[in-house]
Amino acid sequence: MARSFYPAEHYAPEPQQVSLLPFRFARLSGQELLVNEAGEFLFAPEGTTQSLADGVVDVRSELYKDLKAKHIVFDDTSSPLLDVLATKIRTKYDHLSGGTKLHIFVVTLRCEHSCHYCQVSRQTATKGEFDMSEATADRSISLMLDSPSPHVTLELQGGEPLLAFDIIQYIVPRAKEQAQLRGKGLDIVVTTNLACATDEMLTYFRDEGVRVSTSLDGPAFLHNKNRPRPGNDSYERAIDGIERSRAILGFNNVAALMTTTAASLDHVEEIIEEYVRRDFHTIFLRPISPYGFALKTKTKTGYEMERFLEFYKKGLNHILAINRGGYRLTEIYSQILLSKILTPQGTGYVDLQSPAGQAWNVLVYNYNGDVFASDESRMLAEMQDWTFRLGNVHRDNRHSLFTSEAALNMFEVSCNQSLAGCSDCAFQSYCGADPIYHHATQGDMYGHRPTSGFCKRNMEVIKHLFAFINEDDPQTMGIFWAWLTGNPLPVQVAKCD
Amino acid sequence: MEIDTQSPLPQGTVTIHVRHDLVSVDALLKTCYWFSRDFVCDVSRDSEKQSTVRLKPKAGSDHPLDEAQEQFMAAALDFALRERVTVQTLSVRDLLLAKAFSESGVLEEQPLGVFGDAVEEAKPDGMFKILSNS
Repeated sequence: MARSFYPAEHYAPEPQQVSLLPFRFARLSGQELLVNEAGEFLFAPEGTTQSLADGVVDVRSELYKDLKAKHIVFDDTSSPLLDVLATKIRTKYDHLSGGTKLHIFVVTLRCEHSCHYCQVSRQTATKGEFDMSEATADRSISLMLDSPSPHVTLELQGGEPLLAFDIIQYIVPRAKEQAQLRGKGLDIVVTTNLACATDEMLTYFRDEGVRVSTSLDGPAFLHNKNRPRPGNDSYERAIDGIERSRAILGFNNVAALMTTTAASLDHVEEIIEEYVRRDFHTIFLRPISPYGFALKTKTKTGYEMERFLEFYKKGLNHILAINRGGYRLTEIYSQILLSKILTPQGTGYVDLQSPAGQAWNVLVYNYNGDVFASDESRMLAEMQDWTFRLGNVHRDNRHSLFTSEAALNMFEVSCNQSLAGCSDCAFQSYCGADPIYHHATQGDMYGHRPTSGFCKRNMEVIKHLFAFINEDDPQTMGIFWAWLTGNPLPVQVAKCD
Repeated sequence: MEIDTQSPLPQGTVTIHVRHDLVSVDALLKTCYWFSRDFVCDVSRDSEKQSTVRLKPKAGSDHPLDEAQEQFMAAALDFALRERVTVQTLSVRDLLLAKAFSESGVLEEQPLGVFGDAVEEAKPDGMFKILSNS
């Protein structure tokens, strides 16, 4: 007897009603890039958005299945998945939960370097009145731990913080003790140029579990040009400090960051090679912050964003080539954006958050107790611009800091979802709102996106990354995924002649 | 939309007539916003049905004027399209965001809105349920 089956339509009936889900689109490389509210994307043929808006998309097409899978449309067979989409959106905004995580203590303004671009109005190395007092340190620790975040990071910064090593030795044990009493996790990092680091200091950091973050701007000629100091030996001291730090603290407890000055722009490959030569596996191709002395000395260090983007693109190509050769080197800015594009995760990187991460995810406690929404806003204050000073540790508590006029003014323009130029942007969920940058560069926290360096940089970098994604070269995508997952680099495909 | 090539124009200026049955005033202004980097955009409302835009390159702009005409019209139509998608998805967007944040405790008040999907309405913990709590 023949067994009868339901027809295939019984299991996958054609939808009776198709509805759109919110999405934004951009035109890239002769296609339309459709991005949903959670940042999931789909490259679709030209005309897709028009068809969707007109309600004439073919529900039997492969494209329709893709649109459903990417939560661009839903119908009576897929509406339960709306819960999934809501969960994905929540995951993307996870940085909003928990409160401020990064707390930067400026333990001194003193520094023995005199970098043109220095983001701090540095003081000479002998002026002790620019060190953080014990009373200010105590209040800062208390405010830091008032954050609802179950785990906080304390970054000890300057100036050059090692010039105030005594206050570091005061802060570290107290912060650890107080964190333990309140049941909070605590990471401590010291940001130092390492020029004055002694073995005793490094041993102290090892014993206290303090990690080291330092600066390396490239090979000697460039690093020393960017970072003048007596003796013109900043590079030699940095390299010596990195080697001793690795030997004492352990290899993985030492990281380096670079700053791109005008002098750097023609040397991206040499900078990258220097990081490889020094056995670093991450590099952050980041532009100079338009604050502090960088603004004051623009003619010495400044450059147009176009030139930085050329630098970045050339650098990323070189980094990919190095990875293809088997040496793992992650470019951090690309990694952050790729994580937002290719995974459900958001980012802890403050500059690419919306609502903006300033204050929500980072607070800066200056040596004199003033509290700022970010390190950049402290730099503005050093230029006598107090717009983003939220209060002072000796007068304020967490509530009054976050309800201060300075904070509320900033929060009002901190969501790119509601900013002109951003609200319709396909890249909105990958980007951020940076009221401090726009205040500093355009004199207006709200910002004017068509002339914004922030917008230009992120638009171009995101488009550049999407070009790689659309090209879908297995080697390149394998490298990107290795950066995101920590998995090994893809094996080099053998070439036949 | 059409480009006016007949009227006498100041040198280096282009005039574009925009019909509002195709491109709303909002979509037109969004287009002008993005073109304001390279051009002075002089917008005048001719009638309820039409506006006229005059694009004049800013000093130092190297944006070719003939390309700008095409790009302006394409951008305006894209903003009109975005507007249509936004209108069609506004309610569900509000509800998705409400659901996303209410479960994490961020949103204290449920938004008003209408969600017309029968399957979702039938679910005891669906988005319609959350809406009906308000």
